[in-house]
Amino acid sequence: MSGLLGVGGGIVMVPLLVLAAHLDQHHAHATSLAAVIAIGAGGAITFALEGEVDVQLAGLLALGSLFGAPLGALVMHRTPEGSLKVAFGCLMIVVAGLLLWT
Amino acid sequence: MDLSLPVIVGIVAFGVSVGVLSALFGIGGGLVMVPFMVLLLDEGPHLAEGTSLLVIVPTALAGVAAHARRGYVDFGAAALLAIGGVLGAVAGARIALATPDDSLQKAFAIFLILMGARLIREGYRGRARG
Repeated sequence: MSGLLGVGGGIVMVPLLVLAAHLDQHHAHATSLAAVIAIGAGGAITFALEGEVDVQLAGLLALGSLFGAPLGALVMHRTPEGSLKVAFGCLMIVVAGLLLWT
Repeated sequence: MDLSLPVIVGIVAFGVSVGVLSALFGIGGGLVMVPFMVLLLDEGPHLAEGTSLLVIVPTALAGVAAHARRGYVDFGAAALLAIGGVLGAVAGARIALATPDDSLQKAFAIFLILMGARLIREGYRGRARG
């Protein structure tokens, strides 16, 4: 699916884990993120072989994201189950809007 | 790329918000990084996708490390998803190349709206209960 539409797998994996595998929302987000590591690595290698990676830019973004990720994890931990579900549902609808619009 | 200091600071700051979104929602963050690179940094779409995928790896590792400390990661399910995801990515690329119009994209958007609406409804019910 990520190769098909250019979107990361997380937006599909989280609802699958919640609605089909019946994980709670917190476990679904964390588990999806673990799978994203492998999917991202596979994709990055594929693009790197074609020379389609800007290592300098990736380094700068990662410099920031390595600080942001523990912060995001803390926010998730402190967000109640119901609110996290609603927030993710809204994110899905925004992504759908972007797909239809672009 | 020739970067001035304010641009470098802007990119790193954007990276922080990518990290927050990624760990909070369990997504890679390519969704926000690719448009950022294409629209604001004038990168080509393929270079933006490749660069975004490279950033996703350390970002997701840092997020998972923090989640795992709190016991949130189901590693067995993650391994199954990763295998499915890598196979799906290869198959998906082929289907996309063989499909001339954007009907798949529209179908996927409708799928997201339906699933998203279901999550929102469940979330409100859960809050009403708890």
